[in-house]
Amino acid sequence: MPADVCHETTDNAGETLGGAVVASVLAVTAAACSSGSGAAAPAAEKSYAVGVTSYFLSHFTPGKSIGSNLDYALFTPLTSVDTATGKAVNAMAESIESADNTTWTIKLKPGWTFHNGEEVTAQSFADSWNATAYGPNAFTNNYMFAAFKGYADLNPADGKPSKKTLSGIEVADRSTLKVTLTKPLSLLPYVLAQTTFAPMPKAAFSDLDGFDRKPIGNGPYRLEGDGLAAGATKVVLRKFEGYKGQPGNAARIEAKSYQDEAAAYRDLQAGNVDVTLVTGNNLTNAATQFKDRLVRVPFPAVVYLGFPLWDKRFSDLRVRQAFSQAVDRDTIVKSLLRGFGQPAKGLAGPNIPGGGDADCAACSFDPARAKALLAEAGGWKGPLTLWTYQDPLNTVLLEAVGNQLRANLGIETVTTQAQPVDQLYPNLTAKKIDGPVLLYMGAGYPHLYALADQLFTKGSGTNVTGYDDPKFAALRDRAASAGQDEAFGLTREATRTALDGLPLSPLFQPVGGLAHSTRVSGVRPEFLGGAVLAAVKVG
Amino acid sequence: MGRYVLRRLLVAVPVLLGTTFIIYMAVYALPGDPIQALAGPNRVLSPSVEQALREQYHLDEPLLVRYGLYLAGLLTGDLGTSLTGRPVSEIIGASWPITVQLGVTAWLFMAVMGVLLGAAAGLRRGGPADVAVLGGTTLIMGVPFFVVAYVAQIVLGVNLGWLPVSGTEAGWPLAYVLPGLVLALYGLPQVARLTRTSVLDNLAADHVGTATAKGLPRRAVVIRHVLRNSLIPVVSLLGVSLGYLLSGTVLIEGIFNLPGLGYQIFTAIPQHDGPVVVGVGTLLVLVFLLVNLMVDLLYGILDPRIRLD
Repeated sequence: MPADVCHETTDNAGETLGGAVVASVLAVTAAACSSGSGAAAPAAEKSYAVGVTSYFLSHFTPGKSIGSNLDYALFTPLTSVDTATGKAVNAMAESIESADNTTWTIKLKPGWTFHNGEEVTAQSFADSWNATAYGPNAFTNNYMFAAFKGYADLNPADGKPSKKTLSGIEVADRSTLKVTLTKPLSLLPYVLAQTTFAPMPKAAFSDLDGFDRKPIGNGPYRLEGDGLAAGATKVVLRKFEGYKGQPGNAARIEAKSYQDEAAAYRDLQAGNVDVTLVTGNNLTNAATQFKDRLVRVPFPAVVYLGFPLWDKRFSDLRVRQAFSQAVDRDTIVKSLLRGFGQPAKGLAGPNIPGGGDADCAACSFDPARAKALLAEAGGWKGPLTLWTYQDPLNTVLLEAVGNQLRANLGIETVTTQAQPVDQLYPNLTAKKIDGPVLLYMGAGYPHLYALADQLFTKGSGTNVTGYDDPKFAALRDRAASAGQDEAFGLTREATRTALDGLPLSPLFQPVGGLAHSTRVSGVRPEFLGGAVLAAVKVG
Repeated sequence: MGRYVLRRLLVAVPVLLGTTFIIYMAVYALPGDPIQALAGPNRVLSPSVEQALREQYHLDEPLLVRYGLYLAGLLTGDLGTSLTGRPVSEIIGASWPITVQLGVTAWLFMAVMGVLLGAAAGLRRGGPADVAVLGGTTLIMGVPFFVVAYVAQIVLGVNLGWLPVSGTEAGWPLAYVLPGLVLALYGLPQVARLTRTSVLDNLAADHVGTATAKGLPRRAVVIRHVLRNSLIPVVSLLGVSLGYLLSGTVLIEGIFNLPGLGYQIFTAIPQHDGPVVVGVGTLLVLVFLLVNLMVDLLYGILDPRIRLD
């Protein structure tokens, strides 16, 4: 519809019958127009619309949510990670101190309240953490509390837990929390930056289901209206006037949910949302259409090829090195991903604190050496199967990797297999996968340590290769018990040790984009890629 | 008539029961693990939470026991709980109006356009309208449904900006015009072609010749004798088509971001969200049965010779 039709209807248009008809026609037109701004707010109010996937709108309870940009708008945890310096800085915490990295004293800033006016106290944090750590509540983020003392009591191997609270959490006074871990972890301030560790008010516990849909948080924005009512496809956030931290810019934010990023992107093109995350095939289109209004978003993740260490064909390190060096990462990123990716030189890109180092010796493309290594190890016999989970981009990537292995290593029969996520992971756990597997791994919290711990620690649910090296474990523990500054170097050392053993070969660090309309500015990515909602400026 | 309706409704009960059973088994026969699906590709569940969730959804019970529990719940009016923690009844309650609006919009488009085009083609056999309808419907049948949907969305919605691209914000009818049109194309070729064939058959019938010979004006002949009789098979097809339309909503609601019943199925299947798939699927079957009953009742109105006893 042409823009010149979109203008305000005047009040006197309805005085005559003809006027009424005109007015009603205009009202219809206006309805069609108002979808253009995506907001039915008064013009004076600074309001914008953000597109999110429905996954972001599943749960709002800290212990169940995924830590999306919406969660960060509604809740403020104790710390946040400054992406520029890679340091954990205090948000709701006044100070977080520990002499031995095992027992911690956390002091809160005074005067913070929840959206309902209730004061945020040490008890608010303790209540929230205990609820999540209590197994029978079945909060999905429960596993993040495994490092806290008393976790085992709340999550016994079988039967009902005998206790309801973590022995490692002690409320010393209204603004002081004492935390005890099972073993040293100097990176606790990074861990606490996740919304999983946000506080919950007393009011939450009288109706946990209601709270899950319409949370009462302590973040820069509060939820307006019914929140996640059944069938809700959008939620409205309003600036919380009582916020003590850095206040949000916009007065009102509409978050519209879509089935996937592609649907949200189409609505951005049509002018119905102002900012949305763009991934996959739409990135190329967005780069040409939005030009400087597309902000590159390096994800805190790695796409890697994991080797089944239980399969004797991959037990020789030289075979794994051959596979790793036969893959031309630059070409894959350039041609398949159109540059939206960072060819892996190590485990994590520079956007993750501690990452950015070339700690993977076998990640350089060297087909001649790869062939020689494979021959040295006795060559390759028989067919090769490559695995991944069902995802349009993954299958294309896997084909490309397969072609390169065929061409550069001379393996004749290479087949690719894609399974649903919920089938592939159990099969990996059961060691039923008989070939390299292409997977995506996001860091749990913004630190190289998180990624290394998730992928290389024995017993970690996401260590799918069966890797278990005491040398790595020793270095990892040293990093965890050292101070935060030494932790960077020690974590890198541990990562390098793991990548020398090459249980998996990093391929690239994925990159997405945040595309936005001309109405907004100040768009920058949150940890999981969505726009930092409080930072977006309107007009 | 009343007895006939009652009989049909009674037959529907075992059909619906069978439906729940088949869908239930189909969802759980899918390879993979619902709890793992709930955790997502990048998240781990602690063993204790996994255990709690399995108990909560009776996933630790044998399949038949689970189905029994589900049926017992159904009899008390409890449609179960989705894996996302929402009651299924609430999900259905929020999404059925959207599917009804979409279905009715599409059905009206299909019926009106299909009958008009088919009649125009049939009344002038070999004429330009006939050629256009035959060619056009062949083309539509040859292009995959989702391609039409995306192209319509990008051209009419994104590039030209004539209609809302997605979502229900613009309300009825505006928000439903584009998805309704695309969905209507799904069954339009069959309706148009059947109408055309049916009109041709009736034009050649004896009673039409007699009516023309009596000197009735052509308009009266066409409307009273040709079209009315031609519509009997078309009405039956329109009834059956509603079933197709309902299955089409799964894809269309996904593409156009309309959170109706089809959208719920679309998102629930990969999540192994059995209660949602069974509840919504059974509801769609119920609607289908009721529409078919209405179609059969309509016969009697269109053709007094048809008795329903």
